[in-house]
Amino acid sequence: MATIQYILKRLLLMAVTFFLVMIIIFLLVRLLPGDPAIAIAGDRASDADLAAIRERLGLNQPLVVQFWQFLSNTVQGDLGRSILMRAPVIDVIASRLPTTLFLTVYAVALSVLIAGPLAFVAALNRGRWPDAVIRTVFQVGLSMPVFYIGLILLTFLAAQLRWFPVGGYGDSFSERLYHLFLPSVAVALYTSAIIMRNLRSAIVEVVDAEYVEFARAKGLSAWQILGRHVLRNALISTVTLLGLSIGNLMSGTLVTETVFAVPGVGRLMLEAIFARDYPLIQGLTLTFAVLVSIVFLMTDLIQSALDPRMRLT
Amino acid sequence: MTRKLVAAAAALTTALTVPALAQDRGGVLNFARYDGSTLIDPIYADRNPDIWMVGSLFDTLLRPSDDGNSVVPGLAETYNVSEDGTTVTLTLRDGIKFSDGTPLTGEDVVFSLDRARNADLSPWAGLLGTLDTVANNGNEITLTLSAPDPTILSMLATFTTGIVSKAAFEAAEGATDQEKSAAIFAAKSAGVGTGPFYLCGFEQGTSMDFCANEHYWRSGSDGKPLPYLDGVHFEIIPDDATRILKLQAGEMDAAEFIPFSRVAELEADPNIDMNLFPSTRIIYSPINTRPTRADGSPNPLADERVRQALNYATNKQALIGLVLQGAGKPMTSPLMAAATQLATSTDPLYGYDLDKAKALIAEAGLEPGTEITFTTLAGSADDSTIFAALQQMWAPLGIELKVEQVDNATRGAKNRSGEFDIHTYGWVNDVNDPSQVTGWLGYFPTAKAVGTGWENEKFNSLFEASATEMDSGARAGQYAEMQSIYAEAAPLLFMYETPFAVALSKKVSGYVQTPLGNNLFEEASISR
Repeated sequence: MATIQYILKRLLLMAVTFFLVMIIIFLLVRLLPGDPAIAIAGDRASDADLAAIRERLGLNQPLVVQFWQFLSNTVQGDLGRSILMRAPVIDVIASRLPTTLFLTVYAVALSVLIAGPLAFVAALNRGRWPDAVIRTVFQVGLSMPVFYIGLILLTFLAAQLRWFPVGGYGDSFSERLYHLFLPSVAVALYTSAIIMRNLRSAIVEVVDAEYVEFARAKGLSAWQILGRHVLRNALISTVTLLGLSIGNLMSGTLVTETVFAVPGVGRLMLEAIFARDYPLIQGLTLTFAVLVSIVFLMTDLIQSALDPRMRLT
Repeated sequence: MTRKLVAAAAALTTALTVPALAQDRGGVLNFARYDGSTLIDPIYADRNPDIWMVGSLFDTLLRPSDDGNSVVPGLAETYNVSEDGTTVTLTLRDGIKFSDGTPLTGEDVVFSLDRARNADLSPWAGLLGTLDTVANNGNEITLTLSAPDPTILSMLATFTTGIVSKAAFEAAEGATDQEKSAAIFAAKSAGVGTGPFYLCGFEQGTSMDFCANEHYWRSGSDGKPLPYLDGVHFEIIPDDATRILKLQAGEMDAAEFIPFSRVAELEADPNIDMNLFPSTRIIYSPINTRPTRADGSPNPLADERVRQALNYATNKQALIGLVLQGAGKPMTSPLMAAATQLATSTDPLYGYDLDKAKALIAEAGLEPGTEITFTTLAGSADDSTIFAALQQMWAPLGIELKVEQVDNATRGAKNRSGEFDIHTYGWVNDVNDPSQVTGWLGYFPTAKAVGTGWENEKFNSLFEASATEMDSGARAGQYAEMQSIYAEAAPLLFMYETPFAVALSKKVSGYVQTPLGNNLFEEASISR
């Protein structure tokens, strides 16, 4: 019961957040220098053409009127029409979102798969060479920009060795796994570095804790200790970190999708900004806000399930 | 003046009499684009990625000649301009069909041209501003003009006059012209144009497919109808490096807009055919010539001598080396690329001469340490290079060049309002005639001479006179004079011309990008 109440409360808070996000993005977009009418019609357009476009898009209305329209339409599920794509914003986003979600989930899964085992190896070999090697490699991954890692992967693994396609995203599930492998790895390297570092120190901390000493003294096997005590406790902070980094991952798709020619919402956002496509920028920002809020909510729920001491308030 | 051209089509005749060579047919060409189309309609296409594709789907009555300097018959077999220059009559070829097999008629032509010149619908209506009436008598088309128009034949070879099927258009869903156009685009089916291909697949911002029009009227070198290809598959890959990698990996057969820094490397690649197609693209910098700047302070660039000095002090060959790795040439006409009709060659146009520049600066009495702001595109490596080079090149003149980085939309707004000293710009002709670029760069009433605020009565009246001058010799004279006035006044920093850099797989032949930028796939073929 407490959980349901908590979720309702969070949802209410989310609604408030979205309202604030809408105000901020609405104003920010309009603070951007440059005129969407010129972005649409081009520099060569006449003043009359520009005036006609502003009239058609309602850009000549007072800001308050424009915002009210944006708000009331959004509440009714209408995000307007994309100027650039000449189609409803909802449709444009809906056609691109699955690809980005696939990429994000894939990258998270890879991050965990890469970081998890290596964190254990590093922690259990603390101070010895495997620890040093793993930490150094991840430090490099952490300090290299995603687009650079991406280009390196593309050049060697795709263009030269031809193990992977250079771009695109495939049709079937297995094709997608194949096509999106390199972009996911490029994104995952950064995230896995963060997770690895955190998980390693969490494990180290737990291993040294008194209750583990106690468990060992009780005669529990190493695997039992690992499963029952170490893993569970080390996971709590990692889950938080993972939740936070999903927000990062989504913004990372702006770069990744451009480098790897993946037509997702990240690349769409860049196109929308360059074209001063107000409705599309607004729609995408709202979509990102909703997704990140959902991830944060889920993170909190999982956390509380892992650690009964955490109260949902 | 009567110009009567029978469909000689010399090339075609030769092709038919010579024994047919083995010609590769079939296959799909994979083409990596830098940006996608949003709508391919002769009158709504307004961005280059849209415009340059129109010709593949919609044929025009006339076609630009291979050298780009005249027109040849297209859907019209013959054409004739009356003595007084106010009536154009054209005869359609027999047996032309739209891609769904329905015949092309005179009504389709009337429908298409009326639509193209409707200012309520088309941003390009101004190109057909002199067109008074369009009528047909069967396959005979008669255009009457309100005034003699030397550009009318070029306009009939321009994308916006592409012929659409009246029946297909009217049958499309939607209440307004815009909705019908969008519905046709979304339907991805044959029927609306007579071009070599029809649109058979489309995913917004991702990919696009052209399928061969089996009813296309032109024949290939083997005597069978064009196109040679079964289709073209386009993928949108905005990142330069990725586009090239996809070509190198064999996933794509062609990649456009190759950065010039990569040209030499691709030329050395044995599997790649690196093409630099001649273009009408020029890169130049408008200079604000108004007496005062937007903030009210006096504008040192209002003095013609200062602008001339900047031009003399700019080593264009060095800029071409730095920015284009040598793949370009200095502008030789102040108003247009050398590939444009009526371009005069002033070679060198403001050749590098630092002494002359210093003398002009001294004559103009420019204070040492004068600050000038150069507005560039944020994130553009080319612009940064140009800025750094100019900063050095102009330092000996006592000019302190400051940089201001903005994005494209902001640059456009600043150009329009005159809030700049100098900024970078570029141009590619849309029309096979110099009137468009000349109107944009020099004619004050339309766009304040590309936002520079430069106004010259002589230039304006020459431009107006040339708009109705039917004698081609006299018109060429007017253009020569306009170019000389413009060069002297130097409202621009004249920089360079660049080609269209397209890298193709060695398996591809016959692909052409025209000087206007149009992508031509009708004679492209691929050997597998």
